[in-house]
Order: sequence, then structure tokens, then C-alpha cells
Amino acid sequence: MTEILALDGLVKRFGSRTILDGISLNVSAGEIVCFVGPSGTGKSTLLRCINGLEDIQGGRISFEGQAVQGNPSAIRAVRKRVGMIFQHFNLYPHLTALQNVMLAPVVVHKEAKAEVEARARALFDKVRLAHRINAYPAEMSGGEQQRVAIARALCTNPHLLMFDEPTSALDPETVGDVLTVMRDLALEGRTMLVVTHEIRFAADVGTRMVFMDQCRIVEQGDPRAMVAGAQTERARKFLGTIHG
Amino acid sequence: MMQYWPLMLKSAGTTLWLSWLAMLLGALGGTALALLRQIRFAPLRWVVIGYMEFFRSIPILIVLFFAFYGVPLLLEVDISPFVAATLALALHASATMSEVVSAGIASVGRGQWEAAAAAGFSWPQTMRHIIAPQALRVILPPSVGVFITTLKESSLASIIGYIELTRTGLLVRDSTGGGFLPLLALGAVYFVINYAISQVGAALERRLHIGRRSDLVGAMA
Repeated sequence: MTEILALDGLVKRFGSRTILDGISLNVSAGEIVCFVGPSGTGKSTLLRCINGLEDIQGGRISFEGQAVQGNPSAIRAVRKRVGMIFQHFNLYPHLTALQNVMLAPVVVHKEAKAEVEARARALFDKVRLAHRINAYPAEMSGGEQQRVAIARALCTNPHLLMFDEPTSALDPETVGDVLTVMRDLALEGRTMLVVTHEIRFAADVGTRMVFMDQCRIVEQGDPRAMVAGAQTERARKFLGTIHG
Repeated sequence: MMQYWPLMLKSAGTTLWLSWLAMLLGALGGTALALLRQIRFAPLRWVVIGYMEFFRSIPILIVLFFAFYGVPLLLEVDISPFVAATLALALHASATMSEVVSAGIASVGRGQWEAAAAAGFSWPQTMRHIIAPQALRVILPPSVGVFITTLKESSLASIIGYIELTRTGLLVRDSTGGGFLPLLALGAVYFVINYAISQVGAALERRLHIGRRSDLVGAMA
């Protein structure tokens, strides 16, 4: 399979504090890589480095052969092909659900409105929110907002989807709706990076699990095998605790 | 007294025009200053902050005198009382408006900038489609206040001989042999104008907020 993302010795520091300490990782098209591990080990920061929301202090990131550093136009070119879903949704509150989904394709990708609208409406069916198309974010539950955010990311036809703890800010009741949509996307063969604490989801849906602790990748491999029995003591202990 | 009403109303129009023009220029200037402040280049920010602090600390009357008497001396151009008054009021309003616009921009959560950046929006696109519409709701209410203040301060233009509302009221008072009534009428006209502005502002605010409790979500994201 074609490799779409390559991280080589990635280092991220905030001042004197090291957040990522030499992360190397290659991701091929169609992979669903789930990042798990204790809070504060740099999982979210790793995603944010990939689309240039954070600058890096060392190493290299390349997305579809394009370096994601330095030159702002190269970073923007990468961002146009990477969809990101945030923990707190970050929908645009002054726009309706439909307008939220249509904004980037129309403004950033300069696509025709009618085409974008047709695609957006189909996406609302996919995320099971066709009835909420004209609602404003403040009128929707967290689970609904997150599914709109997923539709918003999908509407730009991204080559990679990045989920940054997509269910961490949700009521337990609505977590399932969001995970169902993410399962559907996995079945379509989308390439996804998912930072999550939902170990069961990672084991069911993921094609690879990456366990991070203290700014490094400690272990990676088949999610089911890792949940059944990880190689390293640290991963075994974490996955054992969280899985119950 | 009654015969002077048309004159009073006409000069009320003059005051409105002068204040509106000054406010418009002040709002444009203030927005430009607020946008300049967004640029992360320290010397530029110092210049903007210096400008703001300067015009906030100097009485408008001094600025007015400087514009009317000082500028002609320095630049050897003739300045009409109208231009001098517009300039002085606009300079003052721009300093306040830059504060108001900056606060409006700052009220939009960091998550909005990040969502826009992640989707590939450029800075101007982010500003126009995502930040400005949300900031506007925060900017509008104090802007109405700035407009009302500007309108009241425009009465200072009477001192350099510009015949606006206050000057007209005082002239009417002189020609009717002094007395209290013209001053009362003058105050009433100012009150009616400013009350109307404040009502229009409130109506606009209500319209902008219809059905969207945006402040809440924006602050969270």
C-alpha cells in the first residue's frame, strides 16, 4: 500500500519542556492507527504537529511526499488534504450545521456552491443528521455537534482524517452515535489517525495500535493482540487498567 | 422661540452628519489599528499602543485646537472648522474603537482559529468568514456607546466657530435675550437624537442574536 504519512525523529518542545521525543512512524493509505496512552504523553500534540498547528523543533514530517514545515503555502496545501476533528468540536457558532459543512469547500477549495451543497446533504445522511441540517451548533447536543464536525471534515474530500479525542467531551449516551459513524468511515477504507481512550473501539476498528508514554512510542502492533497481551510491561499495565 | 425650531433641527442634522462622518472614519481607523495589533511584530504594536494611549489621554479640545490652529501653521494648508472637527473627533474615536475591535476579536475562542487553520483557511479568509461575524456581536454594543459619546463631544466644535447644534442653540439664546428655554430645548434635541441611536442599536443587537446563543459556544470552543 502507498505510504501517505512519514514521521522521522519528530521532536516537539514547549520552552524547556519536551512533549515529543523522537517519534518515527509511517502510515499507509487505508490504515486506522489508534493512539492510546496516559494523558499528557503528547498524543494530541502529535496530531497537531502533522497538520502544522504546532511547529516542531526537530525531525521531519512528510505528507504525501510534501514536507509539513517552514513554508506556509506548503502547510496550507497539506491542510487542504487532511481533515481534523477536535475534542471540543470547534464548530462555527454563527453558522448553521449545513453552512458549517459547506464553508471550507466553498471558501478554501473554491468549489461551486451547488455541488458542495449536494455533497454536504449526502454527508448529513451519512452521519444520520439530515433532520438537523438547519440547526445552529448551540441548539445541538455534543454528539450531534461532533457528527457535524465529522461531516465538515469529510466535505473537503480529505486523504487523511485525524480525530483528537473525539468522544472525550461527550455524554456517555452520545458517545455511541459518534463511534458508529467512525466505524462506518473505517469500513469505507478511510485512512484515519485516532487519539482515543476508547480501547474497545481501538481494538475493534483499528488496524494498528500505538501506545505512547512519556513523549515516546513505547509499543505498537495489532490492536487485538496488544489488548490481549502487550509486549511491554508499561502497555500491559495501562491497557489492563483501562479495559477493566 | 418657535420660529427658531427649523434652524435648530437643521443644525441637528449638521451635528448628526459631523458625528456620523467622524464615527465612520473612527471605526475604519480603529479596525485598521486593531488588525495591525494582530500582527506579531513588536515595534508595530508599540506604535499602535502609543497612538491609542496618546489620543485616550489628551482632551479632545486640545486635539481640536491643534487641528484647527496647529495644522495650518505646520503644513500651510487652510483647514475649515468642519474638517478640523471631523479630524479631531475621528482621531479620538479611532483610539477607542481600536480597543473595542481588539476586544471583539479576542472574544472569539482559540478553537475557532484552530478549526479554520486546520481546514486550510488563510488569515484573511479566517478573519472574514469566521472571526469577524462572531466578533461583530461583541463589537456592536460598545460601538453604539462610542457613537453617542462622539455626538456629544461634537458640541466642542462650537468653540472653533463651527455652527452645529450647540452653537446654534447658543446663538438662538443670544438673539432671544438670554434665558433658560433655549438651553432646555438644546438639551432636549440632544436627548432625542441619542435616545434614538441607542434604540436603533438595541434593535440591531436583537437582530444579530436571533436564535443563536453563539457567545456561549464560541467561548467554549
